[in-house]
Amino acid sequence: MSRSDVLVDAEWVEAHQSDPSVVLVEVDEDVSAYDKGHIRNAIKMDWKKDLQDPVRRDFVDKSGFEALLSERGVGNDDTVVLYGGNNNWFAAYAYWYFRLYGHSSVKLLDGGRKKWELDSRELVTEVPQRSATSYKASDVDTSIRAKRDEVEAAIGNKNLVDVRSPDEFSGKLLAPAHLPQESAQRPGHIPGALNVPWAKSANDDGSFRSDEELRTLYGGAGLDFSTDTIAYCRIGERSAHTWFVLHELLGEANVKNYDGSWTEYGSLVGVPIELGAGK
Amino acid sequence: MTDGCGAPAGGVSTPADVGNQAVVQGHVTRDGAAVAPGYARLLNSGGDFVAEVPLGEDGGFRFFAAPGTWTVRVLAPGGVTEDRSVTADVGHLTAVEVAL
Repeated sequence: MSRSDVLVDAEWVEAHQSDPSVVLVEVDEDVSAYDKGHIRNAIKMDWKKDLQDPVRRDFVDKSGFEALLSERGVGNDDTVVLYGGNNNWFAAYAYWYFRLYGHSSVKLLDGGRKKWELDSRELVTEVPQRSATSYKASDVDTSIRAKRDEVEAAIGNKNLVDVRSPDEFSGKLLAPAHLPQESAQRPGHIPGALNVPWAKSANDDGSFRSDEELRTLYGGAGLDFSTDTIAYCRIGERSAHTWFVLHELLGEANVKNYDGSWTEYGSLVGVPIELGAGK
Repeated sequence: MTDGCGAPAGGVSTPADVGNQAVVQGHVTRDGAAVAPGYARLLNSGGDFVAEVPLGEDGGFRFFAAPGTWTVRVLAPGGVTEDRSVTADVGHLTAVEVAL
């Protein structure tokens, strides 16, 4: 797998906007962004309502994913191109879901909605109509998802990459700075975790840095490329972005996203927590 | 609060309950008109990215920071980038008006 298999640019999207086998999907937390304007022929997914279980804290199950994609008109053989706000955080999260359920052709739009907007490209309000399909998902690929026991067991013997901002990592902030700081979890990070904020992997316009820059970034931070890696953040979407970088762009095997992330780990009773800046 | 990590709807139209928060907010304008689309990023004193929000229809943005010195970086179409240094304090609303 190479960068061109998983990442497309705006020119590619513009050339494939009317290709019925290419499904553009905007994934946002703020779903009103789509309603105000989206890339022509893009459909909408709500990262929470569509992709999260409505009761348990978990992602939508296999039958739910099948029902969602069938209803939205996504076929198993379609090429899915995801993009969204927040530098593609939630698009990367959705990308990880598509991989979890075995979708064969899925790509991210480099730079997401932000770069598209800053380049003053076309946004429309017309909502495309796609015919329903009978989507069949694979069983969840657990090789790319880490759960809490595996994370605690990884302390001291696997790469743990905390992709939150330095102030969240050190315990100064409990949440990103565009959200109120009233979270109830304990601050800090998993002992031994490297702090490589997701933002270091992207340019200001949201596009990914080059493979060479990315290898230098993670290698310089102390990531051992010969060892398995678990990435985490606060709720698992920024770490999906870093999972995408390590597993999809750089082609590293054995990289998992811990979607429970700090909101789970920082609330567990008795687990070790470290405060302060990274080493 | 929202339990998400994503950007809330842009802008500052909802009154901020400053309380024990260190709020940094303002507007971005060009020739007196609101800039939108556009983005505001918050960088810490080391220049590291901390947060980003899309500008609201009124060109507005808001961050919940921590006490200290921060940089607000505005991104606007046409490759425009503009930085402002700000100081945030708990219980205070720090206003930053950016004219491009």
